[in-house]
Amino acid sequence: MKNTAGRNSAQWVLLVAVFIIATCGLIYELVAGTLASYLLGDSVTQFSIIIGVYLFSMGIGSYLSRFFNDHLLEWFIRIELLVGLVGGFSAILLFLVFPLAFSFQPVLYALVGVTGILVGIEIPLLLRILKDKVEFAELVSRVFTYDYIGALLASLIFPLIFVPYLGLIRTSLFFGLLNVGVGLYLCRYFAGEVRGVAAIRFGGVIILIAEVAAFIFSEQIMSFSETLAYNDHVVYSTSTPYQRIVITKNKHDLRLYLNNNLQFSSADEYRYHEALVHPAMTAAGQPRHVLILGGGDGLAAREILKYKSVSHIQLVDLDPVMTRLFTGQDILSEINRSSLKDPRVMVTNADAFIWLKENKRQFDCIIIDFPDPSGFSVGKLYTTAFYRLLQNAMTPQAVAVVQSTSPYVAPKSFWCVNETLKASGFHTVPYHNYVPSFGEWGYVMASKSAGYQLPDTFAIEKKYISQAVMAQMLQFPEDMLAHEPLEVNKLNNQALVNYFEKEWGKYSEQ
Amino acid sequence: MRRSEFIRLTAGMAAAAPVVAAPLLHACGPKSGGAAALVPGEIIGASAAAGHLLRDHTFNAPAEYEAKEAVIIGAGVSGLSAARYLVQHGVRDVVVLDLENQPGGNATWGGNAFSKYPWGAHYVPVPNNNLVEYLDFLQDAKVITGYDEAGLPVYDEFYLCHDPEERLYINGQWQEGLVPNLGLNTAQLAEFRQFFKLIGDFKKLKGADGLDAFSIPVDTSSRDESLRALDRVTMKEWMDSHHLTNEYIRWYVDYCTRDDFGTPFGQVSAWAGIHYFASRKGRAANAAYSDVLTWENGNGFLIEALRKHLDGKVMTGALATSVKPGPAGVEISYLDVASRQLRGFEARHCIIAAPQFVAARLLHDTERGKAVTRHFRYVPWMVANLTVGELSERAGQPGSWDNVIYGSPSLGYVDATHQQIQQRKEKRNLTYYLPLTHVAPEAARKEAYQASHEFWSEKVLSDLERVHPDIRRQTERIDIMLWGHAMVQPLPGMIHGDVRSSLAKSIGEHVHFAHTDLAGVSIFEEGFYQGLKAARKILQQT
Repeated sequence: MKNTAGRNSAQWVLLVAVFIIATCGLIYELVAGTLASYLLGDSVTQFSIIIGVYLFSMGIGSYLSRFFNDHLLEWFIRIELLVGLVGGFSAILLFLVFPLAFSFQPVLYALVGVTGILVGIEIPLLLRILKDKVEFAELVSRVFTYDYIGALLASLIFPLIFVPYLGLIRTSLFFGLLNVGVGLYLCRYFAGEVRGVAAIRFGGVIILIAEVAAFIFSEQIMSFSETLAYNDHVVYSTSTPYQRIVITKNKHDLRLYLNNNLQFSSADEYRYHEALVHPAMTAAGQPRHVLILGGGDGLAAREILKYKSVSHIQLVDLDPVMTRLFTGQDILSEINRSSLKDPRVMVTNADAFIWLKENKRQFDCIIIDFPDPSGFSVGKLYTTAFYRLLQNAMTPQAVAVVQSTSPYVAPKSFWCVNETLKASGFHTVPYHNYVPSFGEWGYVMASKSAGYQLPDTFAIEKKYISQAVMAQMLQFPEDMLAHEPLEVNKLNNQALVNYFEKEWGKYSEQ
Repeated sequence: MRRSEFIRLTAGMAAAAPVVAAPLLHACGPKSGGAAALVPGEIIGASAAAGHLLRDHTFNAPAEYEAKEAVIIGAGVSGLSAARYLVQHGVRDVVVLDLENQPGGNATWGGNAFSKYPWGAHYVPVPNNNLVEYLDFLQDAKVITGYDEAGLPVYDEFYLCHDPEERLYINGQWQEGLVPNLGLNTAQLAEFRQFFKLIGDFKKLKGADGLDAFSIPVDTSSRDESLRALDRVTMKEWMDSHHLTNEYIRWYVDYCTRDDFGTPFGQVSAWAGIHYFASRKGRAANAAYSDVLTWENGNGFLIEALRKHLDGKVMTGALATSVKPGPAGVEISYLDVASRQLRGFEARHCIIAAPQFVAARLLHDTERGKAVTRHFRYVPWMVANLTVGELSERAGQPGSWDNVIYGSPSLGYVDATHQQIQQRKEKRNLTYYLPLTHVAPEAARKEAYQASHEFWSEKVLSDLERVHPDIRRQTERIDIMLWGHAMVQPLPGMIHGDVRSSLAKSIGEHVHFAHTDLAGVSIFEEGFYQGLKAARKILQQT
């Protein structure tokens, strides 16, 4: 009597284990499918292939189960722990591998395959463990009932509870923990019947600890995987209250990314900065006082310092981390030729809009090098309200220049900046050049008086700009024109942000 | 590009996990000591306790009276507008009394290290162009910077509401604008088109008397009988008669009438309801009629502008206790709340720029009191200001100035820091509005005064949690303002009945009234012109 009861409860423990294995197995499959369809697109194909690979691998697993002849219960527990390990870490692994695009799909299908095989081994093993304890018809009926109920449960709780509340990494870790927990419980429950319990348990506890740790540090793991998204070696990365700064380096160049957007490549930044700075500086005559808004990398300042007439440069950049970095780091101050340490340069860390609103000084030349208008808060720095304040900061002969995104990718955005400057009372000179790491790039010069004259020379040390190049930069081919009347960008319509989102959104879809 | 975006996206999902779990845990916890108990803050009343002295206490006469040309009771929009007009027209011996420690009435405001914020009225629509005095005031306040060649006002861009202006959380997403469109079927959308067509017609309509059907101030509107008939039905009845009955349009109109009048559409007069939509016709050089002007401290900005010429003439913490008209002038007594001393003015003129239920008590006029009780319903409101860190967001339109949740009893929240121009905002102040219309005003008022800070915090947080799952964790402070008598409700009969005009009649030659309850609708322009009208009555006699 007592014996039957013991056997009976052993049977139930194993059936619950089946139930949990089935749930976890399907969850891993769903995690893989979700990740694949997010990362690779085309969810029908991704899910279809992953389900196929998973079911087929279960078949392989079932086939392989015949080679397990002894110590079935031990193997069952070992495989349980293994499923917990592989499945639990599957999402993390996929995230880490993803930036290395070439190896993603093999790793993805290998993971799905291994999980499938392991789960595939377990069911036949279990059938065989229980075959002496339960009548066959009843056994098959029970095992598969629990298997399929587990599958249903998994497919319901995954989209409704786990993805929204835990995210993918934590979901897979959670079910990994569940698998390992079941393994450890079985170890304890069948302690008498299993050989080498201590070793198995030790392995289980190690996996358990690793998964708990990963669960807790999942955010840090995410941000680490982000650094892998850059092609090159990340030499520096930090998050400031304002932005995420990442600097990468390879044999050819050094690159600066702000919020994942490339700001410059040391290989061709001279093209951008010469085009940004020299037309305005030359048009301004003999500028003495120069203002730089943005430009915390000190590269525009480097160009401006080439002019003997300049006695004072005021640089206003939002982020102190950025200007400190480009002042102090040798590898960076080599690129900007220590411009930010020059006694003529005064660095102020402030919000440009607020600074300009409170500013009482006037400048002969103003270089505006803000990030692209990709959101409502940066969009404010391209409005009539901002440009009207700019007027107050300019001497009558002063020239300002605004970096104005790509007229090729985003012609409406580019010409919207031009229209907005005009609506703010400026005469404008739009121009563009080619910067290999950026593509076609646009700038708009703005002044209080009309009649821009092409200068005879650009009398500074340079690699790119000349009278002939400048003449060319003023020409806009048909495919860089807006072809429709554009709205003026104001605080109360943020027209530019809308143009920008549409144009760059379409571009990055390609 | 897409890769890194995805990583950020999913990282966000994972990061949101403990956040979303919090409400689940909270729901399981004991109801009384919820997480909201941890949010610091206080209930700051519109000095209900001091105000109720007037109701519950009998005051003696003050020992002496100071002579004044004009005494104005109430430093809200009406009172300050009256005072400003008098001072501008040579009547300088003026004093404005207010019970509160800060002038402003419904347009009062607060502030902290991050921004100022409104405690009540928080914007004005682009003004109608016929309101010359109002436009002049806005120019004086530097809100209008000049006029273009066509004679249209140019508004200061910093004061026009910045984009993105409004969003509505509906069917699981934020949509742009407050008129529901996300997830509506074609029949429902057609009803909205039909509704706005009817409104468009009303906007252009003139009555048989040649006046605009719907105009501001209310009393300049046509008195054509066919239009007056609209004041005999509710907004809902009017909509039903035009087959505007789908749940979305009902919600939208109900939202609007609660927003402007603190009155559900099933109770508000159809005339008032339509007035809300059809009276705004302002044209500007750089704005549309539907645009609004707003400031960190809401209409507190305009209060400061009204007060500009009233230095030393506004007396706060002064509870008027009685107004006695005599043959040659008026005796006004007031309690200096800080010193608890009773003082008096002997004035040639008095403007009672306070609600009529206060006027009745000041004048010891029981007939007036009865008429007010019978015809005027003052709705209570709860306004909360939350100081929050970075909030997680649902999909769709990003954070806007006005953020409304479909189906919520609240009116959503307004971001007081929206008009700030800097890139990074360390913290934001959100002003949350809840008109207490779920029961009759009297009962709602009683309930409101009895409820604790914790109760209100929980109400606010559980509502906003739907759109910002981590709001409990991110909220550092909630202050609550209870407006016992926020505004009069324009119920049927209010606008075109005769109660308003009979109560608005001056008493003798010396006591005049100015308040938005006499206009029937509580909007800035009405208060402004109520003040002007009363001030002109005084000027006619001098």
